Amino acid sequence: MTNVVPVDEFISDSWYPGYKPARDDAGAYTEGLSTFRKEDESRFWLLDFHYPRGMVPLGYVFPEDGICFCTQQAAEQLPLPTSGGLAVRMAGPHIYTSEVPVTSPWAIGERVDRVQRSLPDILGRFEQTWADRISELTRGLAYFEGQSYDGRDIRDLARLYEEAITFHRRAWTIHFEIMYPLLATYVGFHGTCLELGIDAAEIAKFLQGYDSKIMETDRALWDLTRKARAAGLGSIFETTDATQLASTLRATPAAGGWLEEFEAFLRTYGHRTEGIADVVLTPWIDDPVSPLGTIKTYLQKGTDHDFEKARIAATAEREQAIDAARSRLTLEEQRTFDAGLAACTSANFAWWNEDHNYYIDLRAHIPMRRAGLAIARALGADRSDDGLFLFRPEVRRLADDQRAWASMRGLVEERRSYYEHWLSRRPTMPKVLGTVPEDMSDPVMREIFGTNAGFFSAMKRLTGDTSDVTTLTGVAASSGVARGIARVLHGAEELHRIQPGEILVCEATSPNWTPAFAKIAACVCDSGGTLTHASIVSREYRIPCVCGVGIATSVIHDGDEIEVDGTTGTVRVLARAGVSS
Amino acid sequence: MTFVRWLNEIGPDDQTAGGKMSRLADLARAGFEVPDAFVVTSVAYQTVAANCALGAVIERALAGIGPDDFDELAAAETRIREHLAAAPVPAEITDAIAQAYEDLCVRRREVRLPVAVRSSSSTEDAVAASSAGQYDTYLGLAGTAAVLDGIRRCWGSLFGARALGYRMRHDLSHADSPMAVGVVELVQARASGVAFSVNPVTGRRDRLVVEATFGYGEALVQGLVNPDHVEIGRTDRRVLSYKVGDKRLVSTMDHQAGHVVEVEMPASMRRLHVLDAEEIDALVEAVIAAEEMLGQPADVEWVLARHRRPGDPATLVQVRPVTTAVEPAPDAAAWNPAASALKYAFTPGRPPS
Repeated sequence: MTNVVPVDEFISDSWYPGYKPARDDAGAYTEGLSTFRKEDESRFWLLDFHYPRGMVPLGYVFPEDGICFCTQQAAEQLPLPTSGGLAVRMAGPHIYTSEVPVTSPWAIGERVDRVQRSLPDILGRFEQTWADRISELTRGLAYFEGQSYDGRDIRDLARLYEEAITFHRRAWTIHFEIMYPLLATYVGFHGTCLELGIDAAEIAKFLQGYDSKIMETDRALWDLTRKARAAGLGSIFETTDATQLASTLRATPAAGGWLEEFEAFLRTYGHRTEGIADVVLTPWIDDPVSPLGTIKTYLQKGTDHDFEKARIAATAEREQAIDAARSRLTLEEQRTFDAGLAACTSANFAWWNEDHNYYIDLRAHIPMRRAGLAIARALGADRSDDGLFLFRPEVRRLADDQRAWASMRGLVEERRSYYEHWLSRRPTMPKVLGTVPEDMSDPVMREIFGTNAGFFSAMKRLTGDTSDVTTLTGVAASSGVARGIARVLHGAEELHRIQPGEILVCEATSPNWTPAFAKIAACVCDSGGTLTHASIVSREYRIPCVCGVGIATSVIHDGDEIEVDGTTGTVRVLARAGVSS
Repeated sequence: MTFVRWLNEIGPDDQTAGGKMSRLADLARAGFEVPDAFVVTSVAYQTVAANCALGAVIERALAGIGPDDFDELAAAETRIREHLAAAPVPAEITDAIAQAYEDLCVRRREVRLPVAVRSSSSTEDAVAASSAGQYDTYLGLAGTAAVLDGIRRCWGSLFGARALGYRMRHDLSHADSPMAVGVVELVQARASGVAFSVNPVTGRRDRLVVEATFGYGEALVQGLVNPDHVEIGRTDRRVLSYKVGDKRLVSTMDHQAGHVVEVEMPASMRRLHVLDAEEIDALVEAVIAAEEMLGQPADVEWVLARHRRPGDPATLVQVRPVTTAVEPAPDAAAWNPAASALKYAFTPGRPPS
């Protein structure tokens, strides 16, 4: 690969059929959503692995508000010294992300000065701030989740839609308002620890073992698994396809008691989708195929995941790692370390990065989905999901004019095929576009997306023939060694292919992948650093994990036998699929 | 004319004892455990040099040679050293040395006491300060003849090729470099090493460093052995890390050759811990006291004698001020989240985490 990946094939002025964004649709903070232009080639763009399906029109509010507006606003408010937040280019409906650079030496100087004054206060107030934000989010979610959307007056629905957009933007404002300072603080502490001679593999352990809402959800699923087994439902789960489980169970009188518990689970944990901020996905509470499928695979595993044991082990390992690190520091160094650790424990990024998904990433877009779909249905849409193919200004206009659905029919069909076309293109789209740099400045890009110096040097290995590459290196994200069969997955919908004891190889994981970690032997990701989802969850589940490998999904083939050393950050291909070792 | 002076006769500003022996005398005066010793003063060397017209010989030997003509400098070194080795030493000097050595044996109650014969050049000697030429040290010499021979060789080491080249480059006089020589009881060393009252790499004062190996310290001082490396917190004297070195060589007495030699360490000893907790305490005690004596961060060369018992002080054979830039001690508020974030989170180009 050369240092520049041409953007030419994605340079375009066209969006979804029949759509041209107007200037005031989104209200961008610094740099709004746009398509690629030739001059974008001088910047670095990463195909954003968080959104593997791209966006349907109704979901464009997310890259506009959630990414552009909210990251740029947060980057200005903290501020980040050399990054103005994230910028987005759309290639078809797919999101490429970059950072908004800040280059003026005067501006950087002022921003350095401001962040030095703002950060300590933000950290000092974090526990109170997050408690307040949780209450606010919980009240907002309860407001929307308590609404009935069917049979409502279209003006009510239009008002709800506007409220849902406002809530969504507020939720993502909170997201980045907290993510940037916590992440920056953790990365600073990480650097301080390295300076004190503490081994990098130890540092991540200092903040593990704290219970998050996502772990709580997973624990509830295991609880339901045990109860399903006890209720004698094992064989139904075993013989029924996940998509048919809900109807089959409802038709089974003996499952009645269990289903009641499952419905209660959904009322608490079911207001979530299988992916981040994607309105195309049906929430669990509306279609529980995903949690039922998860319970099905948990039953296949045979043995229960002992959460208490794993949590105790993670906590013990944490305390041991802290004691061992402190014992090697002078009293003066201990004071520095203790102050940093205390700040990072109270404002614990590793924990927050899981916990917040329950309130924001998997949930805050659902009210927009509900209102948008309900408006389309109220106007006489043909299919229940037609509303997904309307853009924000169109929803507003249609609701205001109460125009008949007929005017949208042809366009919606065209957009549906546009989406399908780009969905099938996704696996072959370039992972990066533009100029590959040596490193990046935005902490979210570096630590969450994993686009750091190591990632870029791995990307450069893709230049030549990789068929004889059998040893890969990346970030040692969770310690331990495991061997097993590699399952190379391109999306969460393929998770059912993975068998207990196999090794997950993928671009990256997100919270909806969490249940798989109870059955896999190890995890390898192309993207990410010690703070990405896969790293954090691997440590909680105590399996080896190597992230930021860059070329794992290209070099490792489905069915290969591989060895993952999460202590050294190495992955070896032991035997190729179909070739006996 | 004083050709020989005992350690307790060397005054604080005695130029004729040379830097190394003056500092050993400082340690003795301050009450440290040091080996018994006398110094053959630079007056003795200057008398011998004057008697054999050394200045003229040096001038002839170096005629037409440049500071970088290494082969020619090496030849000149040989000529000058041979001349010095053959030079007559006045009887009053040899008698004084022989008498002092005999007295030293009596004081230690040991016939043919093994000694270290060490060059002790002037504290103003730019060559010594620049490490351009390490002057000779001979460990384990015993008997008057061997001691006298060692002293002559130390004098000759003023004219090593590198020292000659250094002086030529910096336009320094060869003849005006006075050389004293210490004759120091060789402490039977179970272990030897160095200790720093400040971390010599980071300059931080809260972390002390001790390096240790078995036997005599020569192999360690010359950098031939990979020693045990111990770091200790200054405030609470707690051992922070103890890294066992792979000690491939050991300096040990060769009784047939009559001096200390470097031999391969037996495999069974290479990775053994050299120091226990009590010994580390004694060394920390000693290096902190040495720092107090100097009034600035110190490094010491130390020996743990075979006859040392727990509670006894460590023996010091050398002390020097540390020249590394010393960092201020960290204060309690040293973790500043914004400063750390600026350093590590917001700056491209740091190593990936």
